[in-house]
Amino acid sequence: MGVQFDQPIGYQEIRAGEVWRLFSEAFPKVQEMPPLPPYFETFGPQASMINLTPITGAIHNRFWFVSSSGDELIQFQNDRILHNWRKVNSPNSEYPRFESIIEKFADEIIKLQSYFSSLHQQSLVVRQCEITYVNHIRYPNLADFSVSNWINFLHFTAPEPDDFLVTFRRTIKSHDGKPKGRLTCESATAIEPDGRKFVSLTLTARGIPDEPGAESALEFLKRGRDLIVNAFADVTTDSAHQFWERLE
Amino acid sequence: MNGIIIGAVVGSPAFQPPGAVHPFHSPNARTLITERPALWRGPTVARLDYLCRLPVGWNGYRAGPVSFNVAHFALRLLDAVCGPETPAPSLVPGSSGDLQIEWHSQTIDIELHIIAPNVVQAWRETPETGEDGQEVPLTIDFTEVAQWIKTLAEPSSAPIETAA
Repeated sequence: MGVQFDQPIGYQEIRAGEVWRLFSEAFPKVQEMPPLPPYFETFGPQASMINLTPITGAIHNRFWFVSSSGDELIQFQNDRILHNWRKVNSPNSEYPRFESIIEKFADEIIKLQSYFSSLHQQSLVVRQCEITYVNHIRYPNLADFSVSNWINFLHFTAPEPDDFLVTFRRTIKSHDGKPKGRLTCESATAIEPDGRKFVSLTLTARGIPDEPGAESALEFLKRGRDLIVNAFADVTTDSAHQFWERLE
Repeated sequence: MNGIIIGAVVGSPAFQPPGAVHPFHSPNARTLITERPALWRGPTVARLDYLCRLPVGWNGYRAGPVSFNVAHFALRLLDAVCGPETPAPSLVPGSSGDLQIEWHSQTIDIELHIIAPNVVQAWRETPETGEDGQEVPLTIDFTEVAQWIKTLAEPSSAPIETAA
């Protein structure tokens, strides 16, 4: 989950170490990454899923602050902070509850806001929020695999395709019916490093908070999570649900 | 559902949580990306690129360049409202990283002031609105602006050249 915000006054990349120190106790490792470009959901009759914005600007790094176990990280750049959980090859890597992750993220936003306030009298101005769930559907039996047994909007005639990529979007509306963002669902075949195929199902809720403050941003993320949970139940089949329950 | 697409890059893959295996790593995957042909897009992207690189003090005072995020938002806005035949707008930098998008014809003036991403003051003047025009605050839904822009293509609204 994450938020995009206005670049704070007084913040320059030379201060990234100060930001890391806010989180370094729980996230002692640092990696540098290329920056994420801005991404905005907009609505109009020509609105397209394709996002080609070849505008360049000053180069900034994105930093990963990684936990000791490697399964959690904060991504930070001059206009964005994200908190991610990922499954790593560790026996203690358990899928966390949403409530615990958003609690941590709330704390991180407060720390960041407080830091930016120390540079200049200002608040964090959140322009967009995003929450993503990535699900990997692994084939229990490759010979019998049919994606339509797992994802109910995909029905291929035999034989199964070698690979595919499908995306659809739905508008997230506010209580008065105005667009607030989009729920995006992507499904695709993918390959693990060891060559095994699987199907990824990625659900993202992205949009604007009611107010540009941290509290509204967290509200959007909670609502986005509910939308994703419901959408996941909608787009996966009953037989998949039964299989996963058996696994649990 | 807004639509369905197969076989194109969408969203921002860099948003994929770390650890996710991106589907395009598949050695068999082939992706074709075709930028939509549009008269306005090439000059607009070039102009936005230029405005993001303006030196501090470009206006003779202490104005900075157009905000990188404002420029990106402007392009997403234009992608949502402009058809292939829409004339390229004039793009006028503000003194606070903001941006004004303008179309002027003999009978219609449209101005979109992007104060920040999601904060847009849209204004138009037509024979119907009178000299004061019509002003609308907008966030991310620009359906109404698309209707305004359509009127630019009407025979009585030939665009006039303006200095960008």
